[in-house]
Amino acid sequence: MRTSSKNVLAGYHWMAAPAMVFTIGMIGFPIGYAIWLSLSNVPPGGDPVFSGLENYARLVKDPEFWNAFKLTVSLYAMSLSMQLILGTWLGLLLGRSRAAQGLTRVILVSPFMLPPVVVGMMAIVILDPSFGIANWLLAQIGLPPGLWLSDPKTVLFTFAVLDTWQWTPFVALIVMGGYLSLPAEVFEAVELDGATSFQRFWHVTLPLLGPTLVTAAVLRSVDILRFFDVIYLTTQGGPGNSSTTLNILAYRRGFEFFDFGYASAIMITLSAVVFGTVLIFSKLRAAVAW
Amino acid sequence: MKIRYVLGAAALSVALSAPVAAQTFNWRAHEGQTINLMLNNHPWSQAMRDLAAEFTAKTGIKTQIEIFNEEQFRARLTTLMQGKSADLDVYMSLTSREGAIFEKAGWYADLAPLMADKAMTMPDFNYEDFSASIRAASTCGTKIVALPINQEGPLFYWRKDIFEKCKVAEPKAIEDLPDTAKALKACDPSMGVWAARGLRGAIPYSLTAFIHNQGGSYATPDGKPGLSQPNTLKGLAMYASLLKDYGPPGALNHTFTQVIELLGQGRIAMTHESSNEFANIMRFPGRAQDLGVKVMPPGRDTKISKPVAIGWTVTMSPNSQRKPASWYFLQWATSREIQTKLIANGVAPPRASVFEGQEFNKWIAEMPIRKAWADSLIEIGKTGTGVYQSPTDRVPEARDIIGTAVQEIVQGASPADAARKADEALAKLQ
Repeated sequence: MRTSSKNVLAGYHWMAAPAMVFTIGMIGFPIGYAIWLSLSNVPPGGDPVFSGLENYARLVKDPEFWNAFKLTVSLYAMSLSMQLILGTWLGLLLGRSRAAQGLTRVILVSPFMLPPVVVGMMAIVILDPSFGIANWLLAQIGLPPGLWLSDPKTVLFTFAVLDTWQWTPFVALIVMGGYLSLPAEVFEAVELDGATSFQRFWHVTLPLLGPTLVTAAVLRSVDILRFFDVIYLTTQGGPGNSSTTLNILAYRRGFEFFDFGYASAIMITLSAVVFGTVLIFSKLRAAVAW
Repeated sequence: MKIRYVLGAAALSVALSAPVAAQTFNWRAHEGQTINLMLNNHPWSQAMRDLAAEFTAKTGIKTQIEIFNEEQFRARLTTLMQGKSADLDVYMSLTSREGAIFEKAGWYADLAPLMADKAMTMPDFNYEDFSASIRAASTCGTKIVALPINQEGPLFYWRKDIFEKCKVAEPKAIEDLPDTAKALKACDPSMGVWAARGLRGAIPYSLTAFIHNQGGSYATPDGKPGLSQPNTLKGLAMYASLLKDYGPPGALNHTFTQVIELLGQGRIAMTHESSNEFANIMRFPGRAQDLGVKVMPPGRDTKISKPVAIGWTVTMSPNSQRKPASWYFLQWATSREIQTKLIANGVAPPRASVFEGQEFNKWIAEMPIRKAWADSLIEIGKTGTGVYQSPTDRVPEARDIIGTAVQEIVQGASPADAARKADEALAKLQ
């Protein structure tokens, strides 16, 4: 008499309990506590007092929140699109090139190994209009100086460029991996059919890379929406509020102005945005699967 | 009956005084303990890191010191205090900024009982050696919440050699500043003329003299936010226009670190920056010889000179499990002996006996600029203020709003519009 494997496994489900408890403890508790704080009034030095949806109602009416929301989405859109476009280009280049092997690849992908704090410090050193080398270089080639992070009109784009500089190689690595795993016979067939390079890229490579690109987009989305360190190190959300993203706003409300409940409400909202974005990309991944 | 009463009283007084006499202060009473200190990056903290070994040698108490830049320091401090962490024993606090919030939150231990305990406090501690105004800044009612470690405020630094070369007179009234800047720029268009704090939260510290000296105030006579008052607008407009027309590019992201770097490197002719940075400025070659320093000139008609004058303090967490050992550190670090040693680090002593002492006077006599710096500190100690926002307990937020108004003017908004907007936001904090 044989017991089915399903029944055998069912008998051992309890063995997953430690992992479940650990997961709930490490992930569930902090999130649950943050939600609790967001539903409370938390005076400095005092215990949270339940206040229902008061913080969320305040958030809806707060122009600073909506400005931060707009900036977060703008930064996300600029950074993600640049990283996907440049990352795809660089990834295909790395995948096809015989020259870009070994050490060359390591050098090309090294920026994303830098801690964000280092990138922030580099931005201060390079982009400060008074001290930085960037304007000096521009002057050498006869171009006017830029204000980079000091001008409300350019600050967000400058952050998008900085993030793109750092993380495009990461996208490129993912794309390269995806490209190298594509079936070679498809490309051979397309070549026999006499397709041009552009047709090959547009009608074959890109659709086949769809799932890979969605994976890269999910990973980058989570990071870009939480982009914090470089902004805090360089502008602290300024000039004015021109780079006060949701993360910066929450940090300032919580740690500088001791408004812990409201800061938690902002962070929970941001987490919902991140979660929603990941969900949308998950649906998209199913749509582009082949 | 009367004799018996007198004898009884005498016996009681002997009985009460006996244990007091037995309680003598002993520096090694808490030997073997380790206290955790969290400090803001400041000349005092840097010096303390070097001097901590002396404290350990004297008391047998070990120290673990963490020093963070101000923003990180505040974030970590807030987290530890809100979490009622027992790990933190001693920390620095700018009582003029966060005193009201911290006291309300219960984040300061009361030092008064420890100070009153003869067994716990060194005999020559002499709290009255700190001036009344300095003591008041770290006292809430009868509760002593912190001990002062320095005194500071923004001062006017100018390059005497450049002024001389350009035949421009040093400003005698604050209203002279725009014309002075204009003349210097005309003299050498390639030269940086002015620098000051442009990062929003940092602005009010150096802005305040511009407002007060021209007869303005952050509050109306009835205690409402008053940035829109005519004289206050003058101050806001002058600060912003100097930054906009004569300041370095990117000034809106600058705080004291960038301003001092520009001054130290000889790239600007004048600034209004912290007295606290004096020692750092002097480390740059040539600045000890070519720089002048004084209190920001008063208003021409008002004759008012009222800059910021504050002091950092060191205090103890109420959650500390090592309060006696922590108190030993506090009194040692603020003692006459240690403050005298800190003079060489450019830390302006808050103790009158040190400020007027032989060592300090010998040190300032070594260079004319040191004398000018010390004289300026004495002056701002008399005329300055630690209140530089409209009335509220939410001081950091209020200063942020004031700084934002200045940033908006620099970016092209009219002073009246920016001030009105700021007043509306400030009113919500009251």
